[in-house]
Amino acid sequence: MEKKIHLQQGALDVAAAFSFLQTPKAGGVALFVGTTRQWTGDRETVRLEYDCYDAMALRELDMLAEEAGRRWPVERLSVLHRLGVVPPAEASVIVGVATPHRADAFEACRFLIDTLKRQVPIWKREVYADGRTEWIDGTSPPAIR
Amino acid sequence: MSTFPVLLFSVLKQKVGEARLTIHLQGPVTGAALLDHLEARYPSIAEYRGVVRLAVNCEYVPESVVLVEGDEVALITPVSGG
Repeated sequence: MEKKIHLQQGALDVAAAFSFLQTPKAGGVALFVGTTRQWTGDRETVRLEYDCYDAMALRELDMLAEEAGRRWPVERLSVLHRLGVVPPAEASVIVGVATPHRADAFEACRFLIDTLKRQVPIWKREVYADGRTEWIDGTSPPAIR
Repeated sequence: MSTFPVLLFSVLKQKVGEARLTIHLQGPVTGAALLDHLEARYPSIAEYRGVVRLAVNCEYVPESVVLVEGDEVALITPVSGG
């Protein structure tokens, strides 16, 4: 399995992520791109701001990638997360998986994004149009392995 | 006396007003004892005690963990990346 895991300030490049995932060994590539949603109910978000424990986030992401590689026949895998400010419609996270058959790509991709959202020490703050801000809490503390 | 860097992020960093605290305690110190000390000093940490997960040297650990001098401790509130 070849993997690429990266945290960065500034825009994520979906085309470059796909390019990394392309291999003749794969029959399918699943790409999930998380983006900043402008409206949540009647509240307007003007931007998200991400905070991160970089060293630990990279370590956790690497562990998730290795777990995905044990559970599915992953040829290539990429997890890219943007930090700092992310304006509406722009990508904050890209998760991509290339596998020989599509079912595994979908499953591994979903595992990665769902587990990232519970386990990886990254947090978002909503900045609303009325000037208020709010750190978003996840539902429960990350699990101890 | 043992010294520990304690890293704060997101809501705790905002409420405490610091990204990094340096805590001195008489050893041996458990994670629970460190949290007791922090919540006595910082009411905003007390508010989150029920949902904070400890990380030591970049690994999630139970509060029963025994800390050693120089361990990097982080208080992890429920995460919200993605």
